[in-house]
Amino acid sequence: MISTREKIFNYAFLTLLAVSVLFPIVYILGVAISPSTSGTLDLAHPQWSNFATAWQQAGFARYLRSSVIITGTVVGVSTVLAVMSGYAFGVLGVVGEKALFPLMLLGIMIPMESIIVPLYYDFLAFDLTDGYQGIILAHIGTGVSFGAFWMRAAFRTMPAGIAESAELDGAGSWTRLWRIYLPISRPAILTFVVLSFMWTWNDYFLSLILVADPAHQPLTLGLGTFSGRHLVQVNLLAAAAVLMSLPIVGLYLFFQRQFIRGMLSGALKG
Amino acid sequence: MATVKQLPASGASAQAAPRTNAPSNHRRRRRWLGLAYLAPALAVYGFVVLVPAIQGVWLSFYHWNGITAASWAGLANYLGFLQDPALRQAIEHTVFFIVFFSVLPITLGLASAALTARKDVKGAAVYRWVIFLPQVLTPAVTAVMWKRVYAPDGPINSVLRALGLDSLAHGWLGDYDWALPALGIAGTWAAFGLCMVLFVAGTQAIPAELYDAARVDGAGPIREFRTVTLPGLRGQLAIAVTLTVLGAIRVFDIVWLTTRGGPGTSTITPTVVMYQRAFANPDVGAASAIGVVLALVSLLIALVVVRLSEDGNR
Repeated sequence: MISTREKIFNYAFLTLLAVSVLFPIVYILGVAISPSTSGTLDLAHPQWSNFATAWQQAGFARYLRSSVIITGTVVGVSTVLAVMSGYAFGVLGVVGEKALFPLMLLGIMIPMESIIVPLYYDFLAFDLTDGYQGIILAHIGTGVSFGAFWMRAAFRTMPAGIAESAELDGAGSWTRLWRIYLPISRPAILTFVVLSFMWTWNDYFLSLILVADPAHQPLTLGLGTFSGRHLVQVNLLAAAAVLMSLPIVGLYLFFQRQFIRGMLSGALKG
Repeated sequence: MATVKQLPASGASAQAAPRTNAPSNHRRRRRWLGLAYLAPALAVYGFVVLVPAIQGVWLSFYHWNGITAASWAGLANYLGFLQDPALRQAIEHTVFFIVFFSVLPITLGLASAALTARKDVKGAAVYRWVIFLPQVLTPAVTAVMWKRVYAPDGPINSVLRALGLDSLAHGWLGDYDWALPALGIAGTWAAFGLCMVLFVAGTQAIPAELYDAARVDGAGPIREFRTVTLPGLRGQLAIAVTLTVLGAIRVFDIVWLTTRGGPGTSTITPTVVMYQRAFANPDVGAASAIGVVLALVSLLIALVVVRLSEDGNR
């Protein structure tokens, strides 16, 4: 039914889009292995040592450590909170749910930019702007709404019958959550973990404002500092950028479906 | 643990009674238990989101430099939206960004969805993987990338020089007229993958018979798009509009990391103004007012779009 001309046009269009997406990425990869510090592309003499040099000069190990600590804690705690609040809203029911659920949803719709100024002064008063605690707390707090919403939807799709019979057998709410609901909702939880990881790992805005001490700053801020200091060594800057993207792109390779599904169905995070 | 022990008795009665009107002791206890499960999340949410949101509204009515005592400002901080040149310019830029962050990505996404609708495009997964990739990259990295692409000796200018158009070659992000559209294109680049994947997934849910019927009726590609694809994508369209418009009015990372709002104020955005007001030479009240307006506009957009898309489904 579909003409060859239309088919060719399809491929041409999609290829054009894909090439324009890939162009800056491939270009920066090329710059990262070029020997020229001015950023001129020179693929004839690939200089792989740029990665090692950038790693050392940017103090990558330190920033990486911060990113891992922040992201690891945030993803862990957020997942537990998402499961618990989703279980509360989706299965147990909550006292005052008619008011509490919309209140929680508000957190998905209010952009975090709106609360950052008062949040900064609060954190300053509580002395939370220097270490990891503040930024971790901020990430968890801004992600909790989405988590509750996401896991509520996941738990709601499950047949009530299984859990009810377990309840009749005398299983408490914790046992039912642990033995019945968690195993079935593993795909939804995995998607949440992937999204939470990406949002935390990629964050620049919250960290810029809430982490004043360089010793506790994540990679995204480190790259900013590095690009400020190394305006002249463009190839090293490019190499640092490539190194920084590796974990998240690697994760994307493995969990492609979770990334895309999560972004599509729950993409309204503030 | 008391709940567990009493379960058999109350569970049996709940089973016997119709589920809907059985506000038994047991169910009520369950709802309190639910609150206990929710409590930790609610506490963090309250401390990080709710309390600051209220404080933001309160602060927006004061003049405060972050240190000394605050003084009542009334609506002065909100009038800044009308009087403050930087802020007014930022709002104009937001409108400009909506074209690049929302209109263009959605158009490209719709086009690609229409072209691939119901057809077996070989390698579709690969295209999708590639086009979605910018969503995954860190804004800090994206900024480094585009700064290089737009640099005076970057690839765009090399191409222009190779074509003999030397006069057109310049530092795009350092140019008063070109910096804004240049950032806009970077935004389109980052946003259209999500739109495309969203729409392509949406077309797959449209029944094939509708397409076949349209073809049998002799519809060309354009009428097919108008009568089958577009109505079928209503819900996805609502999500895409919400996300990308909100993205455009919130934009900070890419601007801050490439131009800092410059040259001059030629790429300044509301969030950049807010950041400067809050931290550079603190005028916390003015910054808070920007935050409040941002929140109100966001809520309004989300509500309007949700309402519109729901009306369409009924």
